[in-house]
Amino acid sequence: MPSVDKALEDLTGVRTDLEAALDPAEPDGVFRDSRECAALALLSADTKLLLSPPTPRPKKG
Amino acid sequence: MEQSGTSALLQGAVQDLASDVVSALRGGDHVRMSGIGTGAVEEIEGSLDLAAVRVLGADLLLPHVLFPAPPDPEALAVFRKTVEAFPPRADAAPTVKWSHWAMSRTLRRLDTPLTGAQGPPGAPFEDEGGEPDASWLDEAAWQALTHQLAVLAPLAVPGEDCGVARAARRRPVDVARGFVRAVRRRDWQQAAGAGRWLTLLDGVPDALGLEAGLDFVELMGGNDPRVALQVQAARVMRTAGALV
Repeated sequence: MPSVDKALEDLTGVRTDLEAALDPAEPDGVFRDSRECAALALLSADTKLLLSPPTPRPKKG
Repeated sequence: MEQSGTSALLQGAVQDLASDVVSALRGGDHVRMSGIGTGAVEEIEGSLDLAAVRVLGADLLLPHVLFPAPPDPEALAVFRKTVEAFPPRADAAPTVKWSHWAMSRTLRRLDTPLTGAQGPPGAPFEDEGGEPDASWLDEAAWQALTHQLAVLAPLAVPGEDCGVARAARRRPVDVARGFVRAVRRRDWQQAAGAGRWLTLLDGVPDALGLEAGLDFVELMGGNDPRVALQVQAARVMRTAGALV
């Protein structure tokens, strides 16, 4: 009964995906670029904001 | 990251539902659930639609918690069916248990109690003994705390007094740090969820600039309906001046 097997397979897939969606791991971070920092600065012109650009790191050599 | 076919379909269905909730939050109207099929509730049991409702969780009926408009009976029936269809396993992760608890509690607020639910009818829902354990949040580093709270953002509603909300109330500065970190990592969903919690917490540093931060999160991540939902929820609750 292929249709029953397919339905069971689909249901198992949904339940597996459901568990993953309800307990997701934290995705890898992607840090903002300078244009986005500038947009944030414009948005927050009148406020103090902790959302500052990353601290520059010293160059090697 | 590559997704399975089911996973991609599920995410799409969740996003459709989230869009419906955002529309309802903006308009103060019913959640229309346009992404759900028009068949009888029984016909969608086990389907992707029901799974999508489970993923979105209690937020599906958030407009009816924040506004006086009662939910559409069909939406309530689907919500109830979902709660009954996906009980958490005994060994489920805390977020799975808590998201199910949040749905049950919402159902209790808006409808009659579930069969077998703890507490007498009309009670604030399950008694303290019925709550899942929340102690893992007290032991979590601020980064993990923020991640977990963002996953459990549907619990961030005015007047909520549960273990997760109490854990958040004890650590507003940690959640604020987590919000900043999420923004800098471009994790808009986590940032939006954390921002929603911060809207409800006392003791959040003024220097955070939460309102501008939420605007920025919406600007950058608002194309994702799940991000838009959290930001809009935060705005509605902020306007109401509510604290947990």
